[in-house]
Amino acid sequence: MIANEETFRQLMIKAQGGDKLCYSSLLVECEKWLRRYFARKINPAAIDDLVQETLISVHRKRASYDSSRAFLPWLAAIGRYRWIDSLRKIYRHEHDQLYEEMVADPQDGDVTAKVSLERLLGMIPQRQAEVISLVKIEGLSIIEAAAKTGQSESLVKVNIHRGLKKMSALIESE
Amino acid sequence: MSGSANHLIEGLVEGLEPVRTLNPKRGLAIVGGLTLIAGIAVATMLGVRNDLMIGMADEMFFLRSGVLLMLGIATAITVVNMARPGVGKLSRGWIWALITAALFPLTAAIMSAINMPPAEAFRPMEGLKCLTVSGIAALAIGSGLTLWLRQGAPTSPERAGWLVGIASGALGAAAYNLHCPFNDIYYIGLWFTTTVVASAILGRLVVPRLIRW
Repeated sequence: MIANEETFRQLMIKAQGGDKLCYSSLLVECEKWLRRYFARKINPAAIDDLVQETLISVHRKRASYDSSRAFLPWLAAIGRYRWIDSLRKIYRHEHDQLYEEMVADPQDGDVTAKVSLERLLGMIPQRQAEVISLVKIEGLSIIEAAAKTGQSESLVKVNIHRGLKKMSALIESE
Repeated sequence: MSGSANHLIEGLVEGLEPVRTLNPKRGLAIVGGLTLIAGIAVATMLGVRNDLMIGMADEMFFLRSGVLLMLGIATAITVVNMARPGVGKLSRGWIWALITAALFPLTAAIMSAINMPPAEAFRPMEGLKCLTVSGIAALAIGSGLTLWLRQGAPTSPERAGWLVGIASGALGAAAYNLHCPFNDIYYIGLWFTTTVVASAILGRLVVPRLIRW
């Protein structure tokens, strides 16, 4: 069970004021939420690093949270930023099996749907989203992705580059 | 939760200090203050244009001032709001101000196509002075805005770079505008536009690497 939006918001307001107990609870809840948020959207081998990098960003940028607004869209924007950054770094991973426990189990369904990574991927052309999923998330090589999609190897690279660039410009879009 | 995540959370909690939340009004105050200082510096060092001094400024002065200020303020507001991210917050209002400002170079281009003006109309020496002074003012305003933005979490550093450049270029040009005595559309369409475009390109090239997080 993950905390709801209002609990997140209240914990963050207390954390901004320096309450360590609330901050600890907040980070634990964020960790759980992010783990589900990134599920199936990054290679399982990279998920620990991505979650931890996002938590560090949450810590470093906590002053940028506006307490009059909802918390999860803020957390999702930080998460999307780190996710795209992480996809840029990933070229090939050995593991391509998704762990069952990482399957998305969103709380606050409406909010999560609006801020989801799936929605962000859906905002870019399908050919770009497809090769990003194959190479950056599922871990296929450029050659394998080219064979699977019928795109040339150079087009796969170009589409990955363009897709990531486009997504990074759309991080705050719903 | 993994052991390393536990350790990380313990470390982050240990290092927690109270923070003052980012307020976009403070960012705007910095931009406004620097623009005011640039305007005062231009008026003191170069002087205010004569028609403005005697209270009979040409209508083009007001049009130009209004468009530059509107563009500068609209883009600066977008930039300071980018410091506090959130899915669903993407703002595109500044595009309308940019389209309005583009009427100056567009009109100059159409007028030139209809009736090519003499080369003197472009006043290259005065134009370079406009570019230099506006550019220095833009640099000061853009630096202040960038330093403030570094505290925030802009999720699109490239877009932020463009917008910092446009905002500081437009406001820097608005400061120089107090001195600039020329009212013809060719001059404004060329030199004021060049100032904003050059500042935008510089912003795109320099700012993203300073605000990435």
